[in-house]
Amino acid sequence: MNLILGDLPDRLAAEYVLGTLTGGARRRFDTLLPAHPTLRNAVAGWEKRLLPMALKAEAVEPASRVWNSIESKLGWAAPAAATPASSLMLRFWQAFAAVATVAAVVLGTTTHVAPTGAPMIIVLHATKGTETLVAGLSPDRQQLSIQPLQKVSLTPQQSLELWALPKNGAPASLGVISSDKLTALDKRALPKDTKGLAVSLEPLGGSPTGAPTGPVLFVGDLTL
Amino acid sequence: MTAAALKSADDLETRLIDWLSRCALGDRQAFRQLYEATSPRLLGVVAQLVGRGALAEDLLQDVYVRIWKAAGQYRAGAGSPMAWMAATARYRAIDHLRSRGSRPEVAISDLPGHAGSEDGEDDPTHRMPDPGPGPAKSFEAQSEAEAVNGCLGTLQGSQQQSISLAYYQGLSHGEIAVHLGAPLGSVKTWVRRGLIALKACLERCGWSEATS
Repeated sequence: MNLILGDLPDRLAAEYVLGTLTGGARRRFDTLLPAHPTLRNAVAGWEKRLLPMALKAEAVEPASRVWNSIESKLGWAAPAAATPASSLMLRFWQAFAAVATVAAVVLGTTTHVAPTGAPMIIVLHATKGTETLVAGLSPDRQQLSIQPLQKVSLTPQQSLELWALPKNGAPASLGVISSDKLTALDKRALPKDTKGLAVSLEPLGGSPTGAPTGPVLFVGDLTL
Repeated sequence: MTAAALKSADDLETRLIDWLSRCALGDRQAFRQLYEATSPRLLGVVAQLVGRGALAEDLLQDVYVRIWKAAGQYRAGAGSPMAWMAATARYRAIDHLRSRGSRPEVAISDLPGHAGSEDGEDDPTHRMPDPGPGPAKSFEAQSEAEAVNGCLGTLQGSQQQSISLAYYQGLSHGEIAVHLGAPLGSVKTWVRRGLIALKACLERCGWSEATS
């Protein structure tokens, strides 16, 4: 770019970035920016040129309340009906982690229906033995997660498969799940008439037939 | 800067661009990651202008609200993501300083890059820095940050002082004039010529405006 003094857009951009363009001139410049790529490019160029000066500032760790306030200012703090899937997932996992811990010590209860708006937690008991799986279902039933509270012993040739148990008809596969970690089965809508969940022992990779072929290891009720 | 540091800077740049584009799509987790990775830096930038404490943190909230809302416009503007975010932080702090008309006092000698005042350089018609061979050769193989700092160092004392006061303290032309006890017209000239000289110096160093 030509460096003559009359290079007004670049000069204005430089003083805008430096902060010495003030008052009405600064406000007018702000108004012009969105519609003028030349100005925007000039501003971006100066922002980059002066960045090393900004980065000389010593980093300061913000207090944790700052993030909370940002969420609040963006209207994210309160649960909302229509929120992007990602934030729903985040809240879901947070809630799930908290409630799963509680569920782990309340094994006598087969189901725990959380307050409206929070995920539902379903406890699946072993048909033999004392092992337990905990599943969480998002309020809109679109996202399901499941986690064994203790590692389930499998041979390398075996998999665990999760099934939705309808009031009538055959179980519907929800997929293979981990024997020791949290498995997230998002975007798999649970069939509407699901009354319970079951986990069966299957060949590696899951049932080859689309129906449970091995013994059912865990069962839990879904009470809506 | 070492090769490892340069690589890590590139990695961060890539991650920032990724998070920003995900923010534009409404991905709040990406926003949280962006915040975790950049908030200490940006709070540092804000605190440099308004001092540390609750005010700086309040302004930082506005900065991130603005980053979230403007993430979609970022790509259109090109430039480096960190430069854009740091600038966003500075603009918020400067807006605050202008609206309040007050700022913490910092001694000029405390300012980074302060070269000390030089006698006989208060003339607004003072010549431009010597364009001569310039620092091009010595900066050729060095990082952009070093080039900028090197070029700032080549500015005439009054130009460097004025630009430093504007940048690090957010002072306006008039405030710089009061601070330095110099005529307003001189200050405006120092700032303008200092910026032009800075850009010329960077171009001699092979500075590229292109995004990485």
